[in-house]
Amino acid sequence: MTRLLVADDSETVLLMLQRRLEIEGYDVVTATDGLEALERLREAGSQERPDVILLDAMMPNMSGTEVLEQLREQGSEIPVLMISAHLDAQEPDRMRSLGASDCIPKPFEWDDLIGKIEELAGDSSPDGDSN
Amino acid sequence: MRVNPSLTSRLRIGFLVLFALLLLVSLLGVGRLFQVRVDYEDDITRFFQLELESERLRSAFILEQAAARPPIGQRLPSQAELNRASANFAQAVDRAHDLTGDEADLSTNLSQLVANENAWRQSVAQPLVGGNVPKPGVEQRLTRAVTNSGDALATAARDARDNSREDARTETRNTTLLVAAGLAGALLAALILFSGLINSMRAPLGRLVEGARRLAGGDLRTRVEIGGPVEIATLGRAFNEMANALERDARERDRVERMKDDFVLTVSHELRTPVTVVKGFAEMLTAQRQSLNSRQYEAAEVIAESSAQLQKMINDLLDLARSDAGKLRIEPKPTPVRPLAQRVGRQMRPHFEEKNQRFTVTVEKDLPDVEADADRVAQVLANLLTNANKYAPDGAQVRMSATRVGDEVEFAVSDNGPGLGEEELDHVFDRFWRAQSGETQEVGGTGLGLAIAKSLVELHGGAISATSTQGEGATFRFVLPIAKDGRPTRTEPASRTTAGAAT
Repeated sequence: MTRLLVADDSETVLLMLQRRLEIEGYDVVTATDGLEALERLREAGSQERPDVILLDAMMPNMSGTEVLEQLREQGSEIPVLMISAHLDAQEPDRMRSLGASDCIPKPFEWDDLIGKIEELAGDSSPDGDSN
Repeated sequence: MRVNPSLTSRLRIGFLVLFALLLLVSLLGVGRLFQVRVDYEDDITRFFQLELESERLRSAFILEQAAARPPIGQRLPSQAELNRASANFAQAVDRAHDLTGDEADLSTNLSQLVANENAWRQSVAQPLVGGNVPKPGVEQRLTRAVTNSGDALATAARDARDNSREDARTETRNTTLLVAAGLAGALLAALILFSGLINSMRAPLGRLVEGARRLAGGDLRTRVEIGGPVEIATLGRAFNEMANALERDARERDRVERMKDDFVLTVSHELRTPVTVVKGFAEMLTAQRQSLNSRQYEAAEVIAESSAQLQKMINDLLDLARSDAGKLRIEPKPTPVRPLAQRVGRQMRPHFEEKNQRFTVTVEKDLPDVEADADRVAQVLANLLTNANKYAPDGAQVRMSATRVGDEVEFAVSDNGPGLGEEELDHVFDRFWRAQSGETQEVGGTGLGLAIAKSLVELHGGAISATSTQGEGATFRFVLPIAKDGRPTRTEPASRTTAGAAT
């Protein structure tokens, strides 16, 4: 089962994402800010490492971009899908330059989100198995 | 810059000084001329009298001669007669002396005459009266000396008279010239004063004019340097106060405008999260149709549709707010037209099918790539197609086409619906504007779609326009620039996507 870590500061958004993603058949772990997301990753260890991480770019305490930067500094290669308000056209490029695997603007169509997750999960599975 | 005294006070002082100067010069000149005239008349009279007196002296001397040497055979020379004649002569000398005044020339001549007459009396008259006849040479010499000096006095008096006339003329001329020079000087001073005044006004007035032009040109930070006469300085201050007020108002307006933009941005942003959640859950429910009864499913579907509409409106509002705040950005890159048109066509087809409208997409063969943000152009096309779909009646025809026009690609969306009146065409791109004709009153929407389309097309450096014949339909056209390194898209037969009634 594909394992996802989803971080968003809005608990209702988080709940909605969790429920819908569970219906789609994913194993979902949630976090309400960046610090909690890192905490969940530590808890998971290498055994239950998520296959894809979904990060809201803007969160209190520690933003999604900061989590992304920290992950890439630590050498983690888990695919990260950034969810951003997409305030300007350059944002996707900026996210990619920080190490994001992909980027989806808010608000998104559900099918687009699932498509991107599937793409990233497919890319990462062979790596995950080999590690 | 120094503030000069008031213009009016300077003019007043200037006129007073000028008047005083003119009065002084005129009075002095006239007085002087009067004096010259009086002196001249006095001199002429005096010298004329002196001339007369010199004639009398001559006569007195002849009487003296007669007393000293009476005609032969008449009587003897008499001492008494000589004394009387001498006294007479002396009186004439006294009168003449009074008349010589301080003229040295005349005095000398008179003294000479007196001396010669004395010499003559001592050496000729007294001896004759005493009975001694002087030597003929001596008498003749001394007598001639007296006569000559008498003549000299008369001549000198006449000369003095002539000189006096000459002097008076010279003096009159000089005085006249002086007065003329004085008047000219006063007028020159007035001229300098006035030109000074005008010059002192010119620079500050020039600055005011330039300032007013700059202000009118929109530079609200314009202020003028205060200077010149008090009146102009006051005008300058009033100008600066006006500019301050304008700038303050403009700042306030900008602040309110920014607040409004921020407000809309914040509100739209804050609205988005709950709407996303509602839409997400509603979609989740509709996806689980089998576990809902039909009423529950219906409710879930309505929630999903309404929240989708709400989300679209919020996105439109956000786009406009960003556009107003200058934050709406696009990322243009060479974009092939055909896949873009097909994508929008696919996305819109269900809506046309719903109203049994015939929908065709035509893309010209070998069309070069456009320099555009594909998502944004798709948004523009979708907005135009949504409008056509909404306003055209069931069974109508809607076309979307892309053709090359010069260095641009023209996209057109046309329908054969009710069309728009001329007045409506003027407002069709205004935000919140919606066609108000009876038939279309029930059409939903925020009235933001075309305003956003216009903003987006203009962000691409393109232009959008609408044409319509009432009753025959409307056409919306916009152009986008061809990409610089844009290569024509792969040659394919022009495709035609048909939807709705045609299928």
